[in-house]
Amino acid sequence: MLRYIIRRLLLFIPILIGLVTMLFVLLHILPGDPARLMAGPFANPDVVETIRQEMGFDRPIWIQYLDNLRRLALGDFGRSYQSRRPILADLIEVFPKTVQLALAAEVTSSLIGIWLGVIAAARRNGWADRLIMTIAALNLSFPLFWLALMLQIVFAVSLRLLPPSGYGAGFDRFVILPAITLALPSLGLLARITRAALIEVINEDYIRTARAKGLQGTLIMRRHILPNALIPIVTTIGADFVRLLGGIPMIEIIFAWPGIGKYAYDALVFRDLPALQASVMILAVAVSAVNLVVDILYAFINPRIRYV
Amino acid sequence: MKRNALSPGVENQIPLLGIGVILVFILLAGFAPYIVRDPTQIEMRREQNGRTITPPYPPSQRNLFGTDQLGRDIFARVIFGLRTSLIVGLLVRGVSMVAGTLLGLISGFFPRIIDSVIMRITDIMLAFPVILLAMTVTAVLGPGLVTVCVALALVAWPDVARLVRGHVLSIREQTYVEAARCVGAGNRRILLRHVLPNCMGPIIVAFSMGIPGAIMYEAGLSFFGFGIQPPTPSLGSIISDGRGYITTAPWYPGFPGLVLTLLVLSVNLVGDGLIDALNPRAAKAVDSRTSTA
Repeated sequence: MLRYIIRRLLLFIPILIGLVTMLFVLLHILPGDPARLMAGPFANPDVVETIRQEMGFDRPIWIQYLDNLRRLALGDFGRSYQSRRPILADLIEVFPKTVQLALAAEVTSSLIGIWLGVIAAARRNGWADRLIMTIAALNLSFPLFWLALMLQIVFAVSLRLLPPSGYGAGFDRFVILPAITLALPSLGLLARITRAALIEVINEDYIRTARAKGLQGTLIMRRHILPNALIPIVTTIGADFVRLLGGIPMIEIIFAWPGIGKYAYDALVFRDLPALQASVMILAVAVSAVNLVVDILYAFINPRIRYV
Repeated sequence: MKRNALSPGVENQIPLLGIGVILVFILLAGFAPYIVRDPTQIEMRREQNGRTITPPYPPSQRNLFGTDQLGRDIFARVIFGLRTSLIVGLLVRGVSMVAGTLLGLISGFFPRIIDSVIMRITDIMLAFPVILLAMTVTAVLGPGLVTVCVALALVAWPDVARLVRGHVLSIREQTYVEAARCVGAGNRRILLRHVLPNCMGPIIVAFSMGIPGAIMYEAGLSFFGFGIQPPTPSLGSIISDGRGYITTAPWYPGFPGLVLTLLVLSVNLVGDGLIDALNPRAAKAVDSRTSTA
């Protein structure tokens, strides 16, 4: 198990080098002179030249590339072109906010999704089941940015219940709309998987035994059905969390949530290579780490699976 | 395992409904210039009930979806935007399928070194946040229809390559491949005549399941100004233009989004139908990334 984890962690290294290389190439093709951008539109040429030398933009491109890699390998993210602040300090500030949003969204979608799935499975083929499954099929199809806009119209503009965008103190009124927007598209999938997993377990002999010995319906569901149906549900939650991390930059931009996705977007708009590569690296590591944790969790829940 | 609660008879009808909607959309988009009026026609003043009103005009018989702030007909703009969406969806998915299938075939069939190189590249691409990568690529190439297609095809092929490789790995060990080799077939012949046809089921499903993702990412890119540029209409940029009018003219961002949702939903329904019809279980893994836009 430990060897498996170490091997997976080692795989991060080529992925990160690849990401950095790709971004470096892409941002150097981008038209525009970073020194001029940093100096501002009205700076005189001397200032631009000084900045160029200070930041090393006058060196050959492959030396800039190797220097960039060397610094990253030493854990030095550099300074942002835009704010001139150390990027590490920025990241320490923005990353927890993204984690807050992601957790709020995932907890929301898991709780509601599983609950809907349980109801659908318990009243199989009844009207509640049909209604939930029909909505579940529709859910996946909403474009996130449009969903966000519509929720803003309804809850912030018309009903004035919630703030349309911004950041408060983490888990407060501000997190509700972005979290729900992120959670809604996964509700359907979770409800579907939960329902299918439960129904498979319900048809097992030991459930009939439990029922035959007179156990109550809710108790059977809690004690016997849910635990045994957990494997596909947990796997789905893991995969869903990865999907959610992919959608997070978009949501952060729309809701002005000052997380790492918005930070990366701002960096891209400003052609801030060090800030962009650092935030993309963190996001990529986050996605890979979630994948790894899911695989490990999977082995714990289902002892039949062993990794070599 | 049944995925749908509806009775079997109704369940079989649902993909047909999706096909119907898609056909209507294709017809509307295809014959757009003959059906709707000029989407660029501006109308800054209008007489109504004896009063002069200014745009955006609410939905009426004349403007089914209302108009925007310049008095341009939103229905016409949506229909032309639908055109863009359909072109991008098919083109992006087509290109990424061909590239992904080729690389998947090569990766699954040829020696380990080539396989690892291709798979490490897919690792890198899959670790990249999709929307940020697409934005970076369109920023580099300059926004527009072609660059959006390039950017989205670039982010979409790794999924396909993985899927195809997985199937090739199992097919490679089949007896009929061994038999083909024994009678002297070369690598190319085995790949194209024996391996590829046996991967076709999952490939077709992946093709249809990937179209909604491409359509939504195009709309997302255009929404953020990284995609299709005016005057080419795109559903994403219409919605983005309408953001400022959500209080005064909710129909402005509302209807384009509804049409986009309906289009994506229909393609999804057809994809679900294809899965049921062809039943390649592994292909379902593909749709995990399609809904992030």
